[in-house]
Amino acid sequence: MAYATAITALADPTRRAVFEELRSGPRAVGEIAARLPVSRPAVSQHLRVLKDAGLVRDRAQGTRRLYSLNGDGLAELRDYVNGFWDEALAAYERAARSDTEGDDDGAGRE
Amino acid sequence: MEQVVSDLTLRKTVEVGAPPERAFRLFTEGMDTWWPKETHSVGEVRAETVVFEPGVGGRIVEQTLDGEEHVWGTVTAWEPPRRLVMTWHPGRGPETAQEVEVRFEPSGAGTRVELVHTGWERLGDRAAAVYDNYDGGWSYVVGGRFAAAATA
Repeated sequence: MAYATAITALADPTRRAVFEELRSGPRAVGEIAARLPVSRPAVSQHLRVLKDAGLVRDRAQGTRRLYSLNGDGLAELRDYVNGFWDEALAAYERAARSDTEGDDDGAGRE
Repeated sequence: MEQVVSDLTLRKTVEVGAPPERAFRLFTEGMDTWWPKETHSVGEVRAETVVFEPGVGGRIVEQTLDGEEHVWGTVTAWEPPRRLVMTWHPGRGPETAQEVEVRFEPSGAGTRVELVHTGWERLGDRAAAVYDNYDGGWSYVVGGRFAAAATA
């Protein structure tokens, strides 16, 4: 279940707070640290985990590095879970059909 | 911004020919007979059975060929044959649990099964404050692409 990586990355409350800081736009590590009760090294570490999970991307701007949300990663996560349930429910639907046709207890027959 | 919060909800519907009682039973106690274990599990090809323990507090457990158990979630609402709610955290700890609600509504001779998967970011009480200052990019990602994918 590949999407677990992204969800697990967001499960940590502090990391989620870091992630949320990026919703209003790209930020540097120092800007995020200034707004949260978290040290700069800790913010950097959380950003690295988020980046590895595909939820955040970074780019250099002059001497600083700006972090922003990775829209592709978020969309991928959702596409994945979307497909996950599509497949599971399709299997359920098929089972329900053969269950009704097989009719082992007499209920549900047309 | 309730609209955005609801955009984080994944909603799926499927129509089955069986009446609600039977559809509910197949979904729960019969889960092992239809769940695509080889792809939709923690152990994948090692996954042997999926046990759905009925009733509030019941667990959804994957058992592997190696004898390992992976708890996917726990039933938090049990209202056969109309509705159930379970926490959902396959492959990760319960502290990252999301929520899956499944409703079974009579539809003709069969049942309309609606599955709602929520709790994406587990934002909790902070959700409103966070969503009040979301930006256009976020709205595009969640509202646009996700909504389109979720309703496809």
